[in-house]
Amino acid sequence: MNFLLVEKIFFYAAFALYAGAMALFFLFFALKSEKAGKYANALMTAAFVFHTLALAARSIEAGRLPLTNQYEFASSFAWGVCLCYLVFQWRFHFRAMGAFAAPVILVIIAYAALQNKQVRELMPALRSGWLVLHVSTAIISYGSFGISCAVSAMFLLREKMSASEFWQKNVPDGKKLDFISYRAVSLGFLFLTMVLITGAIWAEQAWGSYWSWDPKETWALITWFIYAIYLHLRISRGWKGKSAAIFAVIGFVCVVFTYIGVNTLLPGIHSYA
Amino acid sequence: MREIKKGLKFLSSMAFALVILGLFVLVCIAGSVIPQGEIQAVYESAYPGWSGLILGMGLDDVFHSWWFILLTLLLCGNLLGCNLVRVSPLVNKMKAKTRPLPTGEEGMHFHGDPEKLLKEMGFSKWEAMEGGRYAIRNKIGFWGAWLTHLGIFVIILGFALGQIFTVNYSVFGVPGEEKPIGDTGLLLSIDDFSIELRPDDTVEQYTASLTLKNPDSGEQWSGQTQVNHPWDAGGLRFYQNSTGWAADMAVYRGEELIQTDTLCAGEYRPVEGQPELIVMLRAFYPDYTQDEDGMPTSASGQVVDPGYLYMLYYKGELLGMNVLCAGEKITVSDYTILFANPRSYTLIQIKHDPFTWLAGAGGLLLLAALFVAFYLRTEELWLVPEGEDWRVFGRSRKGSLMFREKLAAKLEEGSK
Repeated sequence: MNFLLVEKIFFYAAFALYAGAMALFFLFFALKSEKAGKYANALMTAAFVFHTLALAARSIEAGRLPLTNQYEFASSFAWGVCLCYLVFQWRFHFRAMGAFAAPVILVIIAYAALQNKQVRELMPALRSGWLVLHVSTAIISYGSFGISCAVSAMFLLREKMSASEFWQKNVPDGKKLDFISYRAVSLGFLFLTMVLITGAIWAEQAWGSYWSWDPKETWALITWFIYAIYLHLRISRGWKGKSAAIFAVIGFVCVVFTYIGVNTLLPGIHSYA
Repeated sequence: MREIKKGLKFLSSMAFALVILGLFVLVCIAGSVIPQGEIQAVYESAYPGWSGLILGMGLDDVFHSWWFILLTLLLCGNLLGCNLVRVSPLVNKMKAKTRPLPTGEEGMHFHGDPEKLLKEMGFSKWEAMEGGRYAIRNKIGFWGAWLTHLGIFVIILGFALGQIFTVNYSVFGVPGEEKPIGDTGLLLSIDDFSIELRPDDTVEQYTASLTLKNPDSGEQWSGQTQVNHPWDAGGLRFYQNSTGWAADMAVYRGEELIQTDTLCAGEYRPVEGQPELIVMLRAFYPDYTQDEDGMPTSASGQVVDPGYLYMLYYKGELLGMNVLCAGEKITVSDYTILFANPRSYTLIQIKHDPFTWLAGAGGLLLLAALFVAFYLRTEELWLVPEGEDWRVFGRSRKGSLMFREKLAAKLEEGSK
C-alpha cells in the first residue's frame, strides 16, 4: 500500500475541510446562521479526523512520528491547534471559537502544503526517543498559544460587536473570553516549559551541552519570557481584558517567529527543524 | 535604613521582576540576531559604523558579558527576595483553619443541605466558622508560584555552577591513535571508528570504540560512543561529536623518507628540517569531481577517486594550492610530498559537568510547580447562615470564574 498517496489524499481532504469550515464560520457570523455554525464545527471535527489519518499514514510510511522537518512540523502544528480547539470547545461549550481558530489552522496548513513532503531518513542527532517528547510537547504548547491568540482576537473584536444580539448569544462575555485565553496560555506555558526541559536533556545527550544559546533555543526562551511577563502582569497589574488580549496575540506572533522566522532567518544547530 | 529597606523591597518586587524579564527579552533578541563569537572583521563588514558599539558593549558575546551575568544575578536576587517575603504569609495560610470572607462580594443565596453542597463541590471536610462552614482544598496550590520561582532559581544555580566547574576537552584522531585528554593525565585510545551508511548514502550512525587509560593507576575502561548515546567512564562523559577526513602524509627529501604524519582536513604541519615550509590538508574529496563552476566537490561519500586539496606555505606566504589525485605528488625544491590512506577521523568531546543534576532537578521542580500553580488550584467555600438559608461565597485562585459558574449551577440544583 502506498501510504504516501494515502497521506496526500487525507492531507488535502483535511485542508479542504478546514477551508470549508472557515467559510461556514464566516457565514455563521455574516448571515447570523446557527445552522452554518453547527455545520462548520462538524467540518472542523471531520477535518481533524482526516488530518489525524494523514499523520498516521505518514507515520506508517516513515516508520516514525512525523515531527522532524518543516512540512511535518507545520502539519502537526496545525493538527495541534485543531486538537486544542476541540478540547477547549468541548470544555467551554463555545463553538464560535472555531471562527477564529480555523484561519490560524488554515494559514499553518497552507504553509505546510508549500513545503517539501518527501519522507527522509533521520540524521543521527534526530534518532532519539526525546524527539517525540520534545516536539509533541511543542505541538500542544504552540496549539494552546494559537487558541489563546484566536480567543484574544475574538475578545478584541467583541468589544466592537457586543451590541449585536447574535454576538451576545454565541460569544461568551469578555470575562469568560479573557479566562479562556488565560487557561490556554497556562496550558501552553506548562508545555513550553516541558519543551525547553526535554530539549535540554536531549541536547545534553546529543551535543554534550544542555544549553548552547542556539537561536532556536534562545527564541523559545524569549517566548517563555513573554508569556511569563503576561502571567505576571495579570497578577500584579491586573492586566486582564484588552491589554492581556493584545499581549496574547503578540505572544503568538513570537511563537510563529520561533517556528518559521528563526529557521529561515537565524540558522543554527536546529536548522533541520 | 529606610532607603535600604525600600530598595530591597523594590528588588524583590514583581515590578522589578517584570523589568528584568523585559530586559532579558531584549538581550536575548540581540544575542540571537547579532552573530556571536565572531572575529572583529565580521562585525566591521556586517555592521559598518556599529561594530565599535557592538564590540565595546560585548554584544558579540552577549551571554557571557558582565552585564548579562549581572542581570542574571539580579533575577536570582529577585526570585529569592520574592520567595523570602512570601514564606511567612504562605505558612500562615497553610496553618489557618479558616480564612476571612472575600471582601467586596455579595455571595450567592442557597437553600438546601450545606454538607451535600460541600461534598458535591469536592470538599471532603470543613471547619465550623461563626455558625457557618468554611472549606478549603488543594492548599498546595498556594505554593505554586513560590515553587516555580525556586525551580527557576535552582536551574540558574545549576547552570551557573556548571559554567564554572565544567571540564570540557576534545580529542580527535583516527583509529589506532592514542591521545592525552587535556591536563587530566588520562589517555584516550581510538580503537575503531565506523560510519554506518544507508543505501541512499545518508548516515545511519557514527560509532567510535574507545579505551580510556589512567597511566598512574593502571586502570582502563573500554566502550563505545555514538551520536545520542554518550559513553560514561572514569568520571567523564564521551560524546561522538563530529567527524571528517584524514590522510597520511609522507615527505621525502630526495629519495629519503624524512617524515610521516596523519593530517585531519584543516590541519597543517611544518616539514621536518624546514619549519618555514608548511603543508596544509585543506579538504578531502572522497569521490573527486568538479561542479559547474569548476570548483572541487565530491560525487559521493565513498572513497572512489580521492582528491586532496592542499595548501603550501613558505615563510607565511601561500606558495601554491591544488587538488592532488591518487598517485600525484607535490614537489618543492628537493622535497616531495604525498598523501595516501584516506579515512575518517572522529572528534570526541569529553565533558564533566558536576552540576547537571542540579539544573535537571530545578527543571523537574519547575514543571511540578507549574502543574501545581495551574492545575491544583486552591478552592475555598464559605457558607454563612442567613436565616434558615445560607449565603455562599466561593473563591478559586486563578480559576474563580469557572469555580463560581460551577458553584452557581450546584446552588441552583441544590435549591430545587
